[in-house]
Amino acid sequence: MGVNYQPVLWNRNKKIYDKWIVIGMLIYLLCFIGITIITNNETSVETLIIRAFGTLAIALLHIILVIGPLARLNSKFLPLLYNRRHLGVSMFLAALVHGGFSVFQFHSLGNVNPIYAIFTSNMDYGSLANFPFQVLGFFALVILFLMAATSHDFWLKNLSPKTWKRLHMMVYLAYGLIILHVFLGALQQQPSIGSIAIMSLGFITIATLHLVTGSKETKADKTKTQHIENGWEYVCDIDEVPEDRAKIFIVGKERIAVFKYDNKLSAISNVCKHQGGPLGEGKVVDGCVTCPWHGYQYLPHNGQSPPPFTEKIATYRLKNDNNKIYVLPEALAEGTEVEPITF
Amino acid sequence: MENKEDDFYIGYVDNISVKTKKTVTNFVFFGILTLITIAVIFAFTQNTFKNSTFELTTNTKIMGVYHEMPYPMLKVKTAENTFKNILLLGFGKSSANPFLKKIRNEISQLSGSMVSIEGNLIYYNGKTLLQITNDEKITLVEKANSQKLPQTKSLVKDMELKGEIIDPKCYFGVMKPGKGKIHRSCAVLCISGGIPPVLATTDENNISEYYLITDLKGNPINKKILPYIGKPSLLTGNIVQLEDWYQLQIDVNTIKDLNRPSKIY
Repeated sequence: MGVNYQPVLWNRNKKIYDKWIVIGMLIYLLCFIGITIITNNETSVETLIIRAFGTLAIALLHIILVIGPLARLNSKFLPLLYNRRHLGVSMFLAALVHGGFSVFQFHSLGNVNPIYAIFTSNMDYGSLANFPFQVLGFFALVILFLMAATSHDFWLKNLSPKTWKRLHMMVYLAYGLIILHVFLGALQQQPSIGSIAIMSLGFITIATLHLVTGSKETKADKTKTQHIENGWEYVCDIDEVPEDRAKIFIVGKERIAVFKYDNKLSAISNVCKHQGGPLGEGKVVDGCVTCPWHGYQYLPHNGQSPPPFTEKIATYRLKNDNNKIYVLPEALAEGTEVEPITF
Repeated sequence: MENKEDDFYIGYVDNISVKTKKTVTNFVFFGILTLITIAVIFAFTQNTFKNSTFELTTNTKIMGVYHEMPYPMLKVKTAENTFKNILLLGFGKSSANPFLKKIRNEISQLSGSMVSIEGNLIYYNGKTLLQITNDEKITLVEKANSQKLPQTKSLVKDMELKGEIIDPKCYFGVMKPGKGKIHRSCAVLCISGGIPPVLATTDENNISEYYLITDLKGNPINKKILPYIGKPSLLTGNIVQLEDWYQLQIDVNTIKDLNRPSKIY
């Protein structure tokens, strides 16, 4: 969390994270370039750069896309989610080197504008085998650029979290375009079982993890409260909520989190204002509900971030009837103070 | 009271539990191993690169008889009674013609003249090309003498040849690979820019031959041939020998796209 915008709010964990990004990228480049120079030494420098950085970007994109579902399935993976945007920007930079060199190599120094040439030098749009695969890579790079350029919280705030999230969900479109770019380009010219297998394995891994996570979330969303009395919905007994933690319920059509802390119970929206993180999977730390994704904090009794922060989320009324907790499904205005129930 | 035993990671707090640290360490270890595996697979599955050469940073001065039949070339003496015809090209995806404009204006007849040109050599499989980057580096050595022009010889009529139409600049050294689907757009731009189209054929013994493509009257073809570049094609035409090069004189409308199915679907 930060009050003023800074390029990066550095901390120890971010530095460690970025150190391993750099180490991973260097190891990849050294392996790819070293093996190529040793075993296939007639390569040209331009080709080596285009291929090393293109394949590196693909590898990093796969790692990025598995982190999300892994963190949903097991909270011990959450540290990988915390600074994922730096991994995303690194992946974009690798893709940019690949795309930039490719555009210079294949489309520039001709008699037409290089960008125009990407779209017009091969007009076989109706043929799968001859399709101009460069166009797919170009659009993927544009998406990755938009994501990298707007990755800072400044844009998150100014675009609104909803718009920002939609924009960043386009990573899946970029992934699809990149898969097609590779299958209709490099793999057409030099098909190999190894390359096709690794691309297919990557896709299967990402698809499976997302399907498993999606299935888990859908199942949770379908769990309805069973008893409704005068508009109050029974959610659980007090003993079922762990100390300093929450239980998440679907009330109405919204996910709400009921937190237990200091012999009190409060209910707030489950959705963090920052990036929509699941607050109910967070913890009460120093009296504040703390989001598991990036550590954004809210006071449980009013849904307000502690000063000087200004984020606010909806709160809900609770009642205790013989240690049974009931929720009034109507969300109160964001930041509305609600007296916690005590026990 | 906060439950201290309850493991919870906060990015901006330095402390990280042993269990979470172990999971993250395992992920990083596995991630690095995955990166190495991917690098090894992608690196080893590349096709073997050709030993073609482009002397980008080396300037070489060559002297020979200039001719254009129809593409700019320099007939260079390599030994007694032995000559090599070096195809002349411009910088980037351009023909040599823009760079020859100045000397054409200076002398009445360039064809047949002995000239000296400094540029970057490109060579592979017995063929040599020269990239001209500066029109100041072309100088007249001796005035035109038509006796010194290369002789052409008509060899075969209506010959059918299967191969790929490539741009010779990239194919013979500037790019690796300089053919096929990945390179197709570049080849289209090169030939569109005036670089001569060349048919590259390979026989069953993996021996390649190259044919400079012209129209049936021996004039240059560029724009009309663009849809057929970089794809396996069948060309029918007359073969003319220009000393160490072959020419294939064709009617562009007779080129057949072989529509070879893709190797992966």
